[in-house]
Amino acid sequence: MKGSSMEVGEVSKKGASPTRGLSIMDFVLRILAAVATLGAALAMATTNETLPFATQFIKFRAEFDDLPSLLFFVTGNSVVSGYLVLSLVLSVFHIVRSTAAKSRILLVAFDTVMLGLVTASASAATSIVYIAHHGNAGANWFAICQQYNNFCERISGSLIGSYIAVAIFTILIILSVVAISRN
Amino acid sequence: MSTTIDIPESSKVAKGKAVAVAPPRPGGWKKGVAIMDFILRLGAIAAALGAAATMGTSDQTLPFFTQFFQFEASYDSFTTFQFFVITMALVGGYLVLSLPFSVVAIIRPHAVGPRLFLIILDTVFLTLATASAASAAAIVYLAHNGDQDTNWLAICNQFGDFCAQTSSAVVSSFVAVVVFVLLIVMSALAIGKP
Repeated sequence: MKGSSMEVGEVSKKGASPTRGLSIMDFVLRILAAVATLGAALAMATTNETLPFATQFIKFRAEFDDLPSLLFFVTGNSVVSGYLVLSLVLSVFHIVRSTAAKSRILLVAFDTVMLGLVTASASAATSIVYIAHHGNAGANWFAICQQYNNFCERISGSLIGSYIAVAIFTILIILSVVAISRN
Repeated sequence: MSTTIDIPESSKVAKGKAVAVAPPRPGGWKKGVAIMDFILRLGAIAAALGAAATMGTSDQTLPFFTQFFQFEASYDSFTTFQFFVITMALVGGYLVLSLPFSVVAIIRPHAVGPRLFLIILDTVFLTLATASAASAAAIVYLAHNGDQDTNWLAICNQFGDFCAQTSSAVVSSFVAVVVFVLLIVMSALAIGKP
């Protein structure tokens, strides 16, 4: 039947594939998480408070590396921040070539390990910050926040960035898995 | 010229009804992954519930006491340990409830639904398990080593049994965390199309 020439089965191209939107969201979330963890690491690493009174023998200074868990927090968040920046390359590759399955699986594996690392550093620091705020009567551990106000505020606030990164990592893993299952 | 088309008769073969339902595809390696998933889940249940039970029963009273000082250590003096016990019990409960989905994934290795559901929940509970394990580990580290700069004494020097039990509970919970990571990566491998 002669009519306007229209090929059967011509599909208008909206997006190249159903997973392109997921890959773009993945990229944006990665940048957010990198900024969050970097901010948390920096905020914790620049803590330094010296009380105005000091004697010759007793130290009245609080720094993040006095407490090993806070040092672990800074290290862990820096590592995760560096990983996120490096994984942006792979994320861009997934936007461009949306049907890559093996590299997505690699990304999921690394993301899961890094989720464990960032959650561990955030929660270890949280338990120490909790004790710093409230002390512990059973173990005779004194709440240092009562003297070091500035230090305490800073270490508490830097946890927020880390927890934002935890939530973003969870979303990233789920996004990648949905993209794998759709390909 | 008439054209005849010869259709060979296969009269020897009895014509039966066509099978309406296609037989399920062979599982292949995905079935093996699903079986490993099930076994690892059982191991993680043991680890998580063992961690919760060990921490929950950690309690030590020193044999000497005075009228004013407390010489008893138990897990509920520490908020972090209370959080640990509750969270590990939750994680163990989730793992038990996820066993049926794992069985479905063994029976239907190519179905995406159960695996996707399991991966999403596994990720959430991985975060929960890691959080409780790491925060308890920080407290156990403090209890072992103390901290000179904040004048926090190492209570493990006195409460040896309490310390040993809480430390082993933390180790057991980290085993559960590692198993969770393996479960997520394995499910991600098996959920792909081919």
